[in-house]
Amino acid sequence: MWQKLKDGIDHRIGLNELIDSKLREYRVPGDTNIFYTVGIVTVVAYMIQAVTGYFLLMYYIPHPDHAFQSIQDIMTVIPYGWFIRMIHIVAANLMVALVFIHLVSIFFMGNYKKPREMTWLAGGVLLLITLAFCLSGYLLPWSQRSYWATTIVTNIPTAFPVIGDFAVTILRGGDSVSGVTLTRFFSLHVGFLPPLFLSIMGLHIFLVWRIGLSVPPSSPSAKEQKPWTGYAKVNYSKSYPFYPDFVLKESSMILLFLTVTFLIMSFLPTLFLPETATTPADPLRTPPDIKPEWYFLAPYQMLKVIPNKFLGICIQLIAIVVFMLWPWIDSGDERNISKRPVLLTLFLLLAVLWIVLTFWGRYS
Amino acid sequence: MERRSFLGLIGSALGLTAFGTMAYPLIRYLAPPKPKLQKGRQSFSKTDIGDAKEIVYQQTPTIIINRPGKGYIALARVCTHLGCLIEYDRDKKRLVCPCHAGMFDLEGRVISGPPPEPLLTFPLRVEGEEITIG
Amino acid sequence: MRYISFLVVVIILAAALPSSAGYRELFEKEFLSKPWGAEITEESACLECHTSDVMTIELQQIPVDWKASWHYQNNVSCDDCHGGDSGDATMAMSHQRSFIGKPQHADIPDFCGKCHIGILKNYIESGHGKALKATGEGPNCVTCHGSHNIQKVNIDIINAQRCSQCHSYDRAKIIKQALFLTDKKIEKIENDLEMLKKKGVYAHTEVMTLFDTQAKFRSLFHTIDVSVIRDKTYYFTKKLDEIEKNLQETFQQLSFRKKFSTFLMLLFACTWIAVSLISKSRKD
Repeated sequence: MWQKLKDGIDHRIGLNELIDSKLREYRVPGDTNIFYTVGIVTVVAYMIQAVTGYFLLMYYIPHPDHAFQSIQDIMTVIPYGWFIRMIHIVAANLMVALVFIHLVSIFFMGNYKKPREMTWLAGGVLLLITLAFCLSGYLLPWSQRSYWATTIVTNIPTAFPVIGDFAVTILRGGDSVSGVTLTRFFSLHVGFLPPLFLSIMGLHIFLVWRIGLSVPPSSPSAKEQKPWTGYAKVNYSKSYPFYPDFVLKESSMILLFLTVTFLIMSFLPTLFLPETATTPADPLRTPPDIKPEWYFLAPYQMLKVIPNKFLGICIQLIAIVVFMLWPWIDSGDERNISKRPVLLTLFLLLAVLWIVLTFWGRYS
Repeated sequence: MERRSFLGLIGSALGLTAFGTMAYPLIRYLAPPKPKLQKGRQSFSKTDIGDAKEIVYQQTPTIIINRPGKGYIALARVCTHLGCLIEYDRDKKRLVCPCHAGMFDLEGRVISGPPPEPLLTFPLRVEGEEITIG
Repeated sequence: MRYISFLVVVIILAAALPSSAGYRELFEKEFLSKPWGAEITEESACLECHTSDVMTIELQQIPVDWKASWHYQNNVSCDDCHGGDSGDATMAMSHQRSFIGKPQHADIPDFCGKCHIGILKNYIESGHGKALKATGEGPNCVTCHGSHNIQKVNIDIINAQRCSQCHSYDRAKIIKQALFLTDKKIEKIENDLEMLKKKGVYAHTEVMTLFDTQAKFRSLFHTIDVSVIRDKTYYFTKKLDEIEKNLQETFQQLSFRKKFSTFLMLLFACTWIAVSLISKSRKD
């Protein structure tokens, strides 16, 4: 019966030809490593966020008097509400980690170079949108941590001389974080960012598919690869079909991601839930040890350390611009990072700096 | 081939079980539990109440007050500050919390002290000699 | 293109450093002196004077004591007890703003009883309250709880050193024993609530019920009447046991959640292994 269904669809839209040409004949270079699958795992993480987010939307109330209690009801009264909420929290943090891993591996393999500059740019925008998701998302529980971490982060634009205060008023919808901030972040998190993310993700995936996967620069078959001269259907010296081989590889990594998610949910359920996250927001009392989430710790610590805050923010903005435009700054042909000691050193220095700043921010 | 198809079978069986186990909570989630005490109602006679009576309604200590000139009202006795039970001060026509001197008027609104919000009110109906809450 | 971007960077750096010197000073004074995420608290007039060097050491110590206290943790500040206008330095100690300085020894119960009315009622009817009224001497609130460095209440406030100043410690010891078990129950529930909070559960109803129960219980102590305390202990124990039962149910729920998540984790782990094996076998 299953065969009959497939035959019927094939008869009408040429399903078999579609699967053959787009999936089976689509080739993947022979020496791809597991980092080539991180992208799709991030997409799966996003889908999980979308589904659990939608379910949470059914019971969450975006009003300062009810937000915290509605989430507590989800955690204790609604059947398996805890399951949905915990997955949303864990997968959110894992998605940020995956985005970072993906970014670093692409950088390491020089896969932002011609012809993949637009892919890198789209990816950079996706990173910023992901961070915007995180920022808007963790105000929503309206806990002590939500309220005060948001107060700190929305204070950052005050460093700009003329437009600073106005920018903060726009962000917060007032002088301080309030119910207006909550609804505005909620509309951002639920209404504006998802379609924006999906469209740019669609562009990103289209570009990857159309240009074709790159050959890892350090692999043996990279030497045999003909140099790129313009758009053409890729021709790898060694390759295997996308379906079913690469799909199996991707599925295996997705399953690993799910295993890690449930590992954290079982044995470290409070990894992302400090005590201040389980206390209702009190605008009159700042908890003693409030810090942003781990992915914001490095920029936060850096701003605390640089004496002139305007300079600090400018440095960060310039860093973001440089990051986005990197393929045009580093436009040479050599992709293998082991042959580029200057870049390797720079990269390692930045990585170490980021890690040091994160730990410093965590323990200061 | 045999090994591969065996693995395939195991993989699919495990995968289906895993995703099924994930789908089960999603379905259960859609049906919230009925609030247990939704239809709890209590009735009292006017003589029973007198000028005020403390009762327990839906597991919440409550007080029904006969306010002179304004009729009956049912207010929860849980102070909105930290949860102490408030007491009725007949002389001063107000409700006082003995813990930190939070004061409420006979509508349940905060007059003074630390409570952040007014007292919870319960719907009340007067039918002849009978008063029903809920 | 590269020159333009370089120029932009230089311009921003130049703007940041010297040219806005005057603005920068004001900006940094306002900005650097406040912590990140500044909450909008105004420094009260009381604290401004009492933390400055014009005050004697004893008076400077008062804000230090207060900042370590349980009152401070609950946003109870100088004017809440002493009156006065904390927003206006000229009226901060004005009698027109109901300012009360240091109350006399015999006036302290009424001073604290402005807020703690339940406890004041019990205290006045007690042996301690009657002694204070009759003789002007005897223990008042400050004797046991201190004046500014007031901490969360603890059964060891009743101890041999404090309670033998006027009479033998035996009487106090009997009361301490009568309080002991209930106090331990309260402590256990408080610890359980802390643990639940750490695990992401905020048991709102239990927190409120516990507060009311322990407030009544501790208020009752101030009658200094062992028979009353023993009488009411049954009632308190029942309430506390109810709360504990609810909390245990919550712990069981948490344990079920762990089991469910672990089961799913194992399922996914085994599926992962199976799929990896299939993937590897295709490579050959």
